[in-house]
Amino acid sequence: MSPDKRTMTLNLTEQEMRVLEDLCVRKDVSKTALLRQALRLYQMVDARLGRGEKLFFEDEEKKKAELMVV
Amino acid sequence: MRTHVTIIDFKTAKPVEAEVFDEVTVDHFLEAQQEWRPIVLRAARELARRGARELIPQHLHWDWTSKAPQLNVLANIFYGVSYDGKLQGLMKVETVGEYCRCRLPEQDGKPLVYVDYLEVAPWNLKPLAEALGNTPRFKAVGSRLVEAAVLKSVEEEFKGRVGLHSLPMSEQFYLRVCGMTAVGRDVAKQNLLWLEYTPEQAGRFLSGVRKP
Repeated sequence: MSPDKRTMTLNLTEQEMRVLEDLCVRKDVSKTALLRQALRLYQMVDARLGRGEKLFFEDEEKKKAELMVV
Repeated sequence: MRTHVTIIDFKTAKPVEAEVFDEVTVDHFLEAQQEWRPIVLRAARELARRGARELIPQHLHWDWTSKAPQLNVLANIFYGVSYDGKLQGLMKVETVGEYCRCRLPEQDGKPLVYVDYLEVAPWNLKPLAEALGNTPRFKAVGSRLVEAAVLKSVEEEFKGRVGLHSLPMSEQFYLRVCGMTAVGRDVAKQNLLWLEYTPEQAGRFLSGVRKP
């Protein structure tokens, strides 16, 4: 069912690894699954910004802050 | 991905072998628009003429061709069901995005596969086929697509968690046939009902649809 997968080595700092592991626990997924999600999100955001759209976060008081993505 | 599945021939009540695939292309979108949409509109007009407004499909305005630019986005996966060279159903799911977070308290914030669009060919929908004087062709096409969404969720390590906003006329399908949990109306999404699978419910659904 799943397409062929490629394997890579990822070098992270201690802190980055801790963040990754913490996110995996909270989301109940493995590091691979979490990084695949991150890649999809990054591609989606990049494509929409590329089309001239903007990305905002809105707080509980409806104040909006634009997120700048590199 | 191409997988053999069974759907049920309405006339004979016997299973036939169909295919679920994720290599959906613009051609499939064109096929849906050119072959399905005129039938949906004709059936809707006939139902309106008979005063059966509650049976008029709420997805009659859908345009799959408008989704062509989304084919290259990793977060979106499209599935089709085909039998005898004809498209019997189409579905778009998302693995990342605004709606890919669980809302049920026991799995709040965990990732899920979101079913954004699911449509079955009009000749497989009883009210539409009958409005045009026909017997529906195949049963279980929608269930096969939901099954593909659950399997995708398992593959993504989301453990079968799936969520969706249901059109009012499809709510009973997702509740009774699929066994999903109704979480509540979403005021931010036309007040549509939000439904979710827990891993246990998804497992029960998979074992149910896979019985011969």
